[in-house]
Amino acid sequence: MTVTATHAPVARPAAAVPILELRGLEKRYTGTHALKPADLAFETGEVHAIVGENGAGKSTLIKLLTGVTPRTSGEMIWKGQATDLSTPNEAIALGINAVHQEVVLCPHLTVAANIFLGDEHTSRGLLKDRAMVREAQKIIDDLGFNLPAGVPLSSLTIGQQQLIATARAASRGTQFLIFDEPTAYLTRQEAAQLFALIRRLKSEGVTIVYISHRMEEIFELADRVSVLRDGTLVGTRKVSETTDAELVALMINRSIDQIYHKETFAIGAPILDARHLSGPGFDDVSLTIREGEIVGLYGLIGAGRSEFVMGVYGRQPRTAGEVLWQGRPVDIRSERQAIDLGMALAPESRRDQGLCLNLGVGLNINLPVFDRLTRGLTISAAQERQAADKQIADLRIKTASRNALALSLSGGNQQKIVIGKWLNHGAKLFIFDEPTVGVDVGTKAEIYRLFGRLLSQGAGILLISSYLPEVYELADQLHVFRGGRQVATHGFKAVSHEQILTEAIGI
Amino acid sequence: MTDNASAMAGAPKARFEFSRLLGLTLIGVLLAMFLFLSWKTTTFATPGNLSNLARQGAIFAILALGQTFVIITAGIDLSVGAVASFITVVVAMLIQSVAPGIVVSLAGVGFSDYAANIVALWVCIFAALALGMAIGAFHAFGVVKMGLPPFIITLATFTALRGVGLLMTNGSTINVTNDVFTGFSRGEFLGIPNLFMVVIIVAVPAFVYLHLSRWGRYLYAVGSNAEAARLSGVNVQAVTATAYILSALCAAIVGVMLASRTGTGNATQAIGFELEAIAASVIGGTSLFGAIGSVWGPLLGAFILATIRNGANLMNVNSFWQFIITGGLIILIVYFDGLRRQRR
Repeated sequence: MTVTATHAPVARPAAAVPILELRGLEKRYTGTHALKPADLAFETGEVHAIVGENGAGKSTLIKLLTGVTPRTSGEMIWKGQATDLSTPNEAIALGINAVHQEVVLCPHLTVAANIFLGDEHTSRGLLKDRAMVREAQKIIDDLGFNLPAGVPLSSLTIGQQQLIATARAASRGTQFLIFDEPTAYLTRQEAAQLFALIRRLKSEGVTIVYISHRMEEIFELADRVSVLRDGTLVGTRKVSETTDAELVALMINRSIDQIYHKETFAIGAPILDARHLSGPGFDDVSLTIREGEIVGLYGLIGAGRSEFVMGVYGRQPRTAGEVLWQGRPVDIRSERQAIDLGMALAPESRRDQGLCLNLGVGLNINLPVFDRLTRGLTISAAQERQAADKQIADLRIKTASRNALALSLSGGNQQKIVIGKWLNHGAKLFIFDEPTVGVDVGTKAEIYRLFGRLLSQGAGILLISSYLPEVYELADQLHVFRGGRQVATHGFKAVSHEQILTEAIGI
Repeated sequence: MTDNASAMAGAPKARFEFSRLLGLTLIGVLLAMFLFLSWKTTTFATPGNLSNLARQGAIFAILALGQTFVIITAGIDLSVGAVASFITVVVAMLIQSVAPGIVVSLAGVGFSDYAANIVALWVCIFAALALGMAIGAFHAFGVVKMGLPPFIITLATFTALRGVGLLMTNGSTINVTNDVFTGFSRGEFLGIPNLFMVVIIVAVPAFVYLHLSRWGRYLYAVGSNAEAARLSGVNVQAVTATAYILSALCAAIVGVMLASRTGTGNATQAIGFELEAIAASVIGGTSLFGAIGSVWGPLLGAFILATIRNGANLMNVNSFWQFIITGGLIILIVYFDGLRRQRR
């Protein structure tokens, strides 16, 4: 590992060459501008925190820094030399490594085998297993973790596996180490061990990029912090010269676009009434959705919002509480039952839950209503065409034909299919889980206008989002989730962004 | 953000209809083989040989068709050969031991001998087919309720059913002495071999099921993305179960056809037929990753394989070459299938 002379993190001579400098670094995907041109210099041996809401561009930045995706434009300068950095191997060769929130190692192999994975010690082509276990044990002991090297990785807790992943990265001459929400699954004690390790790496001159939602960790560990918002790098501050209030203010988009059309409708009778509902991943949630209103659920990823929805929708079992549908108690045990009552779900993940990607647009749109399109034994081809074409036209889905495969469409148009499949069905309660993730602004506005249309027809909407402006500007009632619990409930724009974000993060 | 980027990206190019092309290619391959063999041999284009070819192809066509339903759900059914073989034993036993009793009692209530025999045979056949469906239901139970991989549960019956059949027969062969039953496979209807007629009788409802009914749509949806199908209200378990039951039913039908053709019930017949069925299905354009397949594809695939075998015999090609040609064809077709997927 490179040991640099300086240990003072903030007072650095201006002339020092940054270990990695980004100049106009930019990434576009089809239909979205994931990272707008960003300039940022990482100083050698600093801990640089990166914060931002979900979808702000943090993951994109990590992917660019680790060579997982090639950049669209811009320069990356490593120790003063322009570098290509377009493949993971290049990143590793330079000494750039990442430790992810989810451990990406081989659970069935031993701890030692994981530490040396891809860099095994051999003797005449044969693995030197015992030597590797010995050496791995030495690495682990040196780092001060009390963990065995010879056991399968899966026998450790997730937190311990995270420490092993860090040890693995630290043992390979890493000079630039990226942590992506490393403490998400760690216990307090494990987190303390990790922090000690990070400080030690820093003292050895390793540059640390630390991504986290947890403000207290940033103030404890980091020297500087950069804020991303909507793909834009909006500012970099010295931690000693900022406050969490300032960072939160930077994270939130203050200039609310013209895209939110909040229309108010007469609020009618309750459609869904959840009372003290508990299940896997959510605990004691109570809320009511009435005709003509949007109920928003805000929280960070993993806050239990989608789990709650899956519980209501019959996808996951509920363990306690009751659900009233239009005033009558119901026991929803299957998706079909929920759909027959009048629920519609546009799920969180388009690709994994929303679409049959290698099937046609028309088939996807008609999937919930084939029973109604059936005459006798067979589907009426004319009605099938009609139903699909109606949604393609109404929602202005840009597709070559109703037979084009769903995967050939852009993100926004795919999302329209996921929503469109429920419009022929004519539901009473529409559940939209992250409906605008990876969707361009134009389509976003169309989706919000559609909300108004549904409300005017007497439907209710449950809107789940990790994007605060969306729920803030649209929801008549806003429930904040954290750690599987409903931690606060507010009326339309009743409190500030800052307060909601504070509740969701739990500062 | 880029408002017009999505407008441009949102208009995908018209999809080149590779699947349709593949269908035409298969018919072309079959026609080319027919023309080539008619030109090169004097024995190919004879009524005797063609009806023989139709009979050979019929067996694999029906197996491949059933297999296709399962493959569309992204599963696999390794048991079809074993099921067919087991059903030859069952139907032979029923015809030899149960049918005569039915004939006697029906004759007692005034049926003619011939009519009584026909009724008795149908009773035996339906019982055998019902047993086949029960085996399919067992596979479905393993996949849907026990959560076993399709490969494993059907591999289990693949070996176990042979054992059951051998136990039932004590390892011997049961000869079917009912001439009406064994005559069926040699008979013709309107000049078309009866066994080929069975293909048509199976293919028509299969076509309605897969291509015209909502259950067929659900089969594709489950194979493409079971979670999306489930959240759209599709009963994924029932749809998946149907595929395994239909595959086993097709295998049972083939078992009855085999028993008629060979005149025997034997638990060691139809070795390797499951792989022939998978090969025919894949040659017919079915994707082993699920969600792509048709009724006519496996039928064409089966007759292409049967023609290769038949033609090679007629041209005195070393029969070992047939295996090599089949293997090469599988690689070629699946390679083009991969290309087709990439283009999409």
